[in-house]
Parts: sequence; structure tokens; C-alpha cells
Amino acid sequence: MNVQDQDTGLMLRYRDGDAAAFSALYAHYKGPLYRYLLRHARNACVAADLFQEVWSHLIATRARYEPRAKFATFLFSIAHNCAIDFFRRDLNLRRAVFAHQTDPVLTEPEVPEHLRPDRVAEYAEQESALLAAVDALPQEQREAFLLREETGLSIEDIARITDVPVETAKSRLRYAVRKLKHSLRPMQEHGPLRLRTYA
Amino acid sequence: MPDERANDELHEYLSGNSSLSRQYRRENSPLPPHALDRMILDASRAAAREPKSFFKSQALAPLAFAASVFLSLAMVLAVVLGPQARKTDDKARVVQVRMFKSEPPRAAISSPRERNPAAWLAYIDSLRQGGRANEAQLEMRRFRSAYPDYIIPVNE
Repeated sequence: MNVQDQDTGLMLRYRDGDAAAFSALYAHYKGPLYRYLLRHARNACVAADLFQEVWSHLIATRARYEPRAKFATFLFSIAHNCAIDFFRRDLNLRRAVFAHQTDPVLTEPEVPEHLRPDRVAEYAEQESALLAAVDALPQEQREAFLLREETGLSIEDIARITDVPVETAKSRLRYAVRKLKHSLRPMQEHGPLRLRTYA
Repeated sequence: MPDERANDELHEYLSGNSSLSRQYRRENSPLPPHALDRMILDASRAAAREPKSFFKSQALAPLAFAASVFLSLAMVLAVVLGPQARKTDDKARVVQVRMFKSEPPRAAISSPRERNPAAWLAYIDSLRQGGRANEAQLEMRRFRSAYPDYIIPVNE
């Protein structure tokens, strides 16, 4: 039995009421899932909210769980959907904030927590050059790269999670790798650099 | 060729030991806050302690499936064999009809004698005995028409 099958078995045990099985799953996936969300959403507060949302969804729907894919595929599909919802909400918030800013009557619009400049800068200060390059990737390419790095899943599984054809997922990953290698080339030539961003 | 180079880079990356992956793994690995860990694990334990609802049980799935099949079958049978499904036969049918001769209109009773059947019969008999057979026959027809159920004695 490989690791994926063990995880599916653990989830089935949790479905049937074994809380210890959930603890084992959580210990195994909390790191990869948190980092995927953190580096995908690029904000620690948002990542924590989404992280809680993903596990809460899994707990709430455990009774209906049927193993149709690897557990990692199942878990990160939930995470992908939560992240997509967040990006949609975020886009609407940005539009709302922008609309307020153009209103001359409102001199100090209320900015959402995750969009506050100090929060954004706090996250950016902790980044290395590689993570800054990952940040700079388009959203879909960044997600494909993070899924591959954090879960080790195949391109087919990544396509399944992101609900796109395999060729699309492959193309996204290819572009991501190309851009990351290209942006890291100066660093490899001159030694590692730490990127600092000042607010 | 740029595309081939990109493909080679992807293959190298997917092999699992590319410099990019090694560098990514060297990055710090942040974990969720401990408070969040506690909250999620507490929620998972509370959910596991909840008794399983009978109606949400997976064991009911075969029963639900069987009920669906039964109802579908019943509906199909009702449609196929139901009374509304019997169509009228377009073929011509031979129908036997029993024809009855319509009863001749009863003769109008015009005289007091004719109101008494016995007197009317006596009159007819007198006509016959007087050699007026045609008139007797005509009167007899009228009598039959007026009293179809009257039993005429044999001697008459």
C-alpha cells in the first residue's frame, strides 16, 4: 500500500468516526496545504482563512466521502475551489475599493485587511528571490508550480485539480519552469540574494 | 528551438531533481499557526463524536436505489398498460345488429263499440257471417292494432 492509498484509508477511517485518523492526515498535509495557499494567495491572513475553510469543508462533508482519486487530489481540489472563490471575492473588493477612491467625497476608503500595504510588505519582506519570482508568475502558472512542488502530484492530477485539460496544465507548468529558471539565472551566476521590499 | 528547450526543461524538472526543485525545498517552510491547528483538530474530534445520522448513512444507498428502480418500473408499466394506452382500433368491424319491425301505429278507437273488445269481435263475426269478408278482415286488422295482446277465443 503506497502513501496515497494510506491517506485514502485514513480518510475512510475518519469518515467512520476515527478522530486519530484525521490527526494523522492533518499532520501530513498541513504544511504543503498551508504553503500552497500562502504562496498562491500571497497573504498570511488570507492563507490562514482559506486553510481553515478547506479543513472545515472536509470535516463537514466527511460522511459523503468516497475515494474516487488520491487523497491529495481530493484535498487540493477543495483548496483550489476555495482559492478560486477568494480570488473572485478579492477582485470584487478591489473594484469596490477603486470605486471609492475615485469618489472625491471619501478621502480615506476602508481597505480590506489583506490589501493593507503593511500586510503586503510584511509578506514580501520574508521572500527570497525564488519566492519573489514565483509571486511574479501569472496565477495559473503559479498554482501549477506550487501544486507540483508541494504535493509531487503528476500533471494529470494537477489538471484534475485545476479542472483543465492535461495539455493546458502541462503548458502552464512548462511556462512557469521556464520563467523561474530565467529569472533565477542572474542569482545562480552571482550567488544567492535576499530580496527586501520596503513599504 | 525554443519550444524544444522548454520541453527539455520541463522533462528535467518533472524528473524530480532539478535545481529549481532543490532550491524551492531549501526555502523556509512556514506552517499554520498553532492556534489554527488546535481549532481544526478540536473541530475534527467534535465531528467524529457526533452520532451518525441514520438517514445520511451510506448503507441506505442500495435501498434508495432499489426504491428508485421500483418506482420507475411502476411508472413505465402504468404508462404502457394503463387504460389511457388503449387505442381505438382503426380496422373496420362487422357489427351484427338485430333489426325489429317497428310496431304499426295503434288504430284510433273511434266508436264506443270499439272500446269493448268483446263487442268489437262480435261485430267482426257478424260481418263475416253476413258475407262481408273484406270488411271483416279490415276490422280484424284494426282490432289487432288496437288490442295486440288480446287473446281471441279459438271459436272466433
